[in-house]
Amino acid sequence: MLMQTELVWLLGAVAKRDEAAFERLYEATRAKLYGVLLRILGRPALAEEVMQETYLKVWTMADQFDPAIASPITWMVAMARNRAIDIVRKRGDLSIEDEPEALEVASEAPPPLARREMTEELKRLLSCLGKLDPEKQRIVLLAYYSGWSRDQLAQKLDIPVNTIKTWLRRSLLEIRECMGN
Amino acid sequence: MYDDDRDALAAEYVLGTLSPDERDQAEAMLAIDPGFAEIVRVWERRLGELNVMVEAVEPPPDVWDKIRTEIGGDAPRSAIEPESSLPVEPAPQTAPDAAAEETPDMTPEVKSEPDLSSAPMLTLDDLAPPRDLHAPQDLDGPRDLDGPQDLDGPQHLDEPQDLDGPQDLDESSPVAALASSLLPPDGEPASQIPAAPDAAVSVTPRAKVERSADIVYLARDARRWRGYTAAIGAIAALLAIYIGIEQFAPALNPLGRMSQPVVASRTQPPGSRLVAVLQQEPTAPAFLLTVDPQNRTLTVRTVTTSAGADRSYELWLISSKYTSPRSLGLVGGEQFTTRPIPADFDAETLRTASYAVSLEPAGGSPKGVPTGPILFTGKMVESLPGSPS
Repeated sequence: MLMQTELVWLLGAVAKRDEAAFERLYEATRAKLYGVLLRILGRPALAEEVMQETYLKVWTMADQFDPAIASPITWMVAMARNRAIDIVRKRGDLSIEDEPEALEVASEAPPPLARREMTEELKRLLSCLGKLDPEKQRIVLLAYYSGWSRDQLAQKLDIPVNTIKTWLRRSLLEIRECMGN
Repeated sequence: MYDDDRDALAAEYVLGTLSPDERDQAEAMLAIDPGFAEIVRVWERRLGELNVMVEAVEPPPDVWDKIRTEIGGDAPRSAIEPESSLPVEPAPQTAPDAAAEETPDMTPEVKSEPDLSSAPMLTLDDLAPPRDLHAPQDLDGPRDLDGPQDLDGPQHLDEPQDLDGPQDLDESSPVAALASSLLPPDGEPASQIPAAPDAAVSVTPRAKVERSADIVYLARDARRWRGYTAAIGAIAALLAIYIGIEQFAPALNPLGRMSQPVVASRTQPPGSRLVAVLQQEPTAPAFLLTVDPQNRTLTVRTVTTSAGADRSYELWLISSKYTSPRSLGLVGGEQFTTRPIPADFDAETLRTASYAVSLEPAGGSPKGVPTGPILFTGKMVESLPGSPS
């Protein structure tokens, strides 16, 4: 990924309708956003659609980006995820059978993580997540990466949905306490 | 307590685990409550770092072509559309039928990140001190548009290395390992799932229909009632009315704590629907008012504390069609009440009216007009459909 400072600069240029900057921003971020979307939406066609929507929104809202409160990639991923979640929620939760197999709670060999990608912020978050019970870590991570609803989490993990609900709430509040601010 | 509720709502909104109704509510709150919007931003930042662990996947090249076409010109259509100060669900999406149909080649090229292989890797047992300080900087280099993604390029390399060392890694490593184990290789979704344009096309319209809610908010107009606020006292000065005119799904669940009724009619085509929030101070809603124009029923769900034994909350409709507020009955007596809407209110009136809640003697106003303090009132303001959220 480009350095954060350059992404910030690009977004600033995009806010001024600099199409070349927009293209560079797209190049620098497209694969990350697409990866996030594909994991949640499963279907490439849907993920492509949301890619378009997201980047159009970035184009129109770049002037609202505030580097003081977000990093560019986090801002854009949040936008893309939010739209993807809208779609999977509002079309109704698919039955488990309809879901991409790739979303199975898998024991595949996890992909290696490039050292350089471990930011301080991520380490802090992981450290706080690590203080949760393993089951709770799991539901938070599955919800984030796979976009699962409480019902889906309950089904897949065979845990009562009310428990999922309680755990999610408690876990998130614990993360807040742990991370401060 | 309320702070926790709001925080949890914001967090679950960002995480994506809210039900559709709860998401609607969170989005309505986003539209009118800067405090809530800020909490959501904080959560986006907190949880957003997790994206680092998602492997990048190359989208098909024609995605960019479509985006570029859409923004073509200096004044892209989407930029001059009204909207979009509201970070809420916009109304009907204009997007994707055409786009979906125009995409004959749905199968993306799935590549692993091009320079990942040359980068130092962490094993899962070794998530220790990050960073490859020597990856090539390409910030100034010319961009090869079809070339490898910069996503994998150096990140934060110029930042001082102030790694704290292992103390937090003891905790973060297992989590990272867990996270990674939950992340199957990215090639799979794309490669295993057949390109499914039909499915996408069939799904999308439903999504669009579901999103046809007009998000509306009530401009705060509580100031002129400020004189009354002293009387609120025990009501904790936080009261919000959540008004939804919708065909179904009256069960907006503000705090995520009440059991969520099953909304069986969710699959039916929704009718016109307005969602509005009125609140005096950033806080959790106190009432949810849902108006179903077709069945002409009004449902009130109470979240706030009761008005007390000798007081009642009364809901009023205020419209230019009438010379005085019209009572919609007492609210807050029970957690969940449904009653018919008086026949003389047409749908347009329901849409355009202001709503207010007053504190009245037990049993309601003896005079047919508000006699006690009006805690909240506001005028609906309709937001225009905007860009996708």
